[in-house]
Amino acid sequence: MSDTQANQVHGTYAEFDSVDTLLAACRRVRDAGYTQTDAYTPFPVHGIDKALGIKPTHLPWISLACGLTGVTIGLVMQCWMNGIDYKYIISGKPFISLPAFMPVSFELTILLASFGAFFGMLALNGLPRFNNPLFSKPRFDRATDDKFFLYIDAKDSRYDASGVAQFLTDLGGQHVDQVVEDDTRLTIPKPIWVIVGVLMFVACVPPLVLARMRVTTSGSPRFHVFFDMDFSPAKGAQEISTLFADGRSMRPDVPGTVASGQFEEDIDYYTGIDFEELARRDSSRATRLVRALRDEPDQTPEVSEADAPSEAPAIVDAPSTPVAPGTVDDTPWLPGNPLPLSSAVLNRGREKFEIYCAVCHGNDGRGNGLVNRRAQRILATAWVQPSSLHQETLYAEQYPDGKLFSTITNGIRKMAGYRAQLTAQDRWAVVAYVRALQASQNATLEDLPADKRNELRKEQAEVLQQLAEQAEEERRRAEATSATVAQ
Amino acid sequence: MAAHAAHPKPADDPTFQLPASISGLASPLGLSGLMLLVVGVLIGLFAGAGGRFTMSAYLTAFTYVLSISLGSLFFVLIQHLCRAGWSVVVRRVAEMMMIAIPALAILFLPILLTVWMGGGTLFAWGDPNFAADHGVPLVTWAEKTRYLNGTWFTVRSIIYLIAWSAIAIFYFSLSRRQDETGEVTLTERMQARSGPAVIAFSLITTFAAFDWLMSLAPMWFSTMFGVYIFAGSVLAAHCAIAAFVFWLQSRGAIREEVTIEHYHDLGKLMFGFVFFWTYISFSQYMLIWYANIPEETEWFYTRQRGPWATVSIMLVFFHWMLPFLGLMSRHVRRRPALVCFWAVYILVMHFIDIYWIVMPEAGSGLGSLVGIITSVLMTVGMVSLYLGGVLWFASANQVRVLAVRDPRLPESLAFENL
Repeated sequence: MSDTQANQVHGTYAEFDSVDTLLAACRRVRDAGYTQTDAYTPFPVHGIDKALGIKPTHLPWISLACGLTGVTIGLVMQCWMNGIDYKYIISGKPFISLPAFMPVSFELTILLASFGAFFGMLALNGLPRFNNPLFSKPRFDRATDDKFFLYIDAKDSRYDASGVAQFLTDLGGQHVDQVVEDDTRLTIPKPIWVIVGVLMFVACVPPLVLARMRVTTSGSPRFHVFFDMDFSPAKGAQEISTLFADGRSMRPDVPGTVASGQFEEDIDYYTGIDFEELARRDSSRATRLVRALRDEPDQTPEVSEADAPSEAPAIVDAPSTPVAPGTVDDTPWLPGNPLPLSSAVLNRGREKFEIYCAVCHGNDGRGNGLVNRRAQRILATAWVQPSSLHQETLYAEQYPDGKLFSTITNGIRKMAGYRAQLTAQDRWAVVAYVRALQASQNATLEDLPADKRNELRKEQAEVLQQLAEQAEEERRRAEATSATVAQ
Repeated sequence: MAAHAAHPKPADDPTFQLPASISGLASPLGLSGLMLLVVGVLIGLFAGAGGRFTMSAYLTAFTYVLSISLGSLFFVLIQHLCRAGWSVVVRRVAEMMMIAIPALAILFLPILLTVWMGGGTLFAWGDPNFAADHGVPLVTWAEKTRYLNGTWFTVRSIIYLIAWSAIAIFYFSLSRRQDETGEVTLTERMQARSGPAVIAFSLITTFAAFDWLMSLAPMWFSTMFGVYIFAGSVLAAHCAIAAFVFWLQSRGAIREEVTIEHYHDLGKLMFGFVFFWTYISFSQYMLIWYANIPEETEWFYTRQRGPWATVSIMLVFFHWMLPFLGLMSRHVRRRPALVCFWAVYILVMHFIDIYWIVMPEAGSGLGSLVGIITSVLMTVGMVSLYLGGVLWFASANQVRVLAVRDPRLPESLAFENL
């Protein structure tokens, strides 16, 4: 601060002994028309804002406005994200689904309303500030102890130094004094610089240590803060257990039992393969498959005697008819869907298709779902474009229902199997829906039932007739114009 | 400023007594209420509303008045637990409503009777064919009925009613004894017991909500249900206290003792509990809606079909949004008449909430004309009987409407919001 401002007067204060004298003085000051006033007390005093004539705060409005902003941001953000920018089906809920948006909107409302209340309070109070000229008065320290102070600011339009001092004295104020600009030295004392410097230096140590640790290797074992979280006592898959004689931590089913819901009696239904036909064509392969599916130890098959003893040793290691990659698939797939077709089955298939398949294959099955679009946008190198379901090689003639079912169950190329997510019945329903989807994209008029076909033909005829009439009208009008022009 | 006149009037001041114009209403209200209740039950049973519907309507009305008493009991407990000073001038009103619990135990008898008559008239789990009719596996049903059966239900209900009554009587009698003696030790005793009492209260209320309301849909469960009922009850109790005090003041009692400041605080609590109720009920809904597990969605599925869908949406707008916005302003909460208006309004909405909890389990729709008449008669009768009973008990025992010698009374009289 320059010297010219060193003696600038900020205001006048007076000291009071009790709440009652202070309140009385406040009321008199208010009634005398002063507005730039403040009172300082060691504890909150009821009614002091009224006594000083302080207007009700605007803070609730700030808080309300911030809260409304919060709820608006929450709702708009989620509607835009889930409903417009990145449509993604979550648990089969609609894209814009209000109940799901509530928690985030609620939290944002609370967050912004409290920010509004907190920062608004600071702003309205002119905080934070480093100093107040009143602090230069040693007596004022007792404002946090046992004295009450009343202060009239020089900015008040009615302020006049001697008049105010006299007024405050008349009100019973003691030690009435002017508050002038604090003339203490403005330079920061050296010890503080030293402390700040040391603190800054110390603060650099942890990041430096971390940075060094990032780029060096250490021979000492890692320090585990939560040992049993890093090393769960529960056994993972394929781990050795000391609890059981055979050392396996994954326990096999008790012999002769099937876990609840795991009984796959109809093997055709669960594999999509016509096993009778397979056994006729290639009995060893059928046996091997059944063993694998039934989770039986892959030893010398018991049925080998009845079937073909000479082939038995070969079964374990190599298929009896080795199929080279790229050759024609000779598996006898089930040609049709074992589920009785109904609109319920198709709807079920559609629901599951749109949850599990559409993300890659697209809702229309053309292979351009959200994941594919995203993969192409980021140029994912390992990405294999999902097949379009609308190609001849995937139609029922070349790709039987059973094979499609098997693909859904076990996966193909980069596509994972959906055995774990979808029950066999749902997978068959998806097969049925895929067939319907294929039909829908390549349908002709002849595919419609007779009555619908006639309806459509009738509509077509009506439209054609209307078009013809319009053309006729146009022609006549053109003739009429040309006739008038000719005249 | 009340701060300067914090000295209570002498304990025998006439404005501390129930005004004659109010106590005179005790018998007319009580008797006509009882009559309406009986007529309602008879009409329901014999004019074709159906046993399930009639008893459900009775349960609705009973739960409604009980929830007000339970909320009041909680109010009294929590004031002692917090050693609250502000609330002393309105606490006696809460105590007058809470002491109705032992009497309400008698009104629970028809429900017990219905359970004992068997056949699942009110609670579907009493129906021996329930499992077969609803495709519930017999193993599951055997486990369910180990808890949900007539005998065990009766035992539990009696335990709940006795425990609530014991707590209510303890706090009521000590508070009244203090009216005469002014012993500070009584307050200390009440405070010391309030911790365990609150724990007992919340456990009992949760289980009562499970048994009496949630088990109406035997296969449905929500661990949040107890809190949901609690939230509604405490909200209703604050409203009832505010409305009751306003009524007393309008007839000349405790005019100088209860000030705008107390209404302001009751208004704040009403505002807060409106939102608490919303928070809990929405959380219960959203978790079930999001997980979408059939055994859980059943309850809400019933309530978002047909006419109940309208009621559900109504609750969102009129049980939450309207009172929430209405009570938001400090200026509203500092006008006793407006606080009283919102209190009565929320009490009506609280009834619709209870109705919405109970009645969808009684049948598919809102009920026939006879059913609605039955329901209205029983509700009006029950509320009137309840009010009459509260007033009769207070006037017969010369209960003052203010805890006149509470050691914190001066603090409450001088109470001011910052």
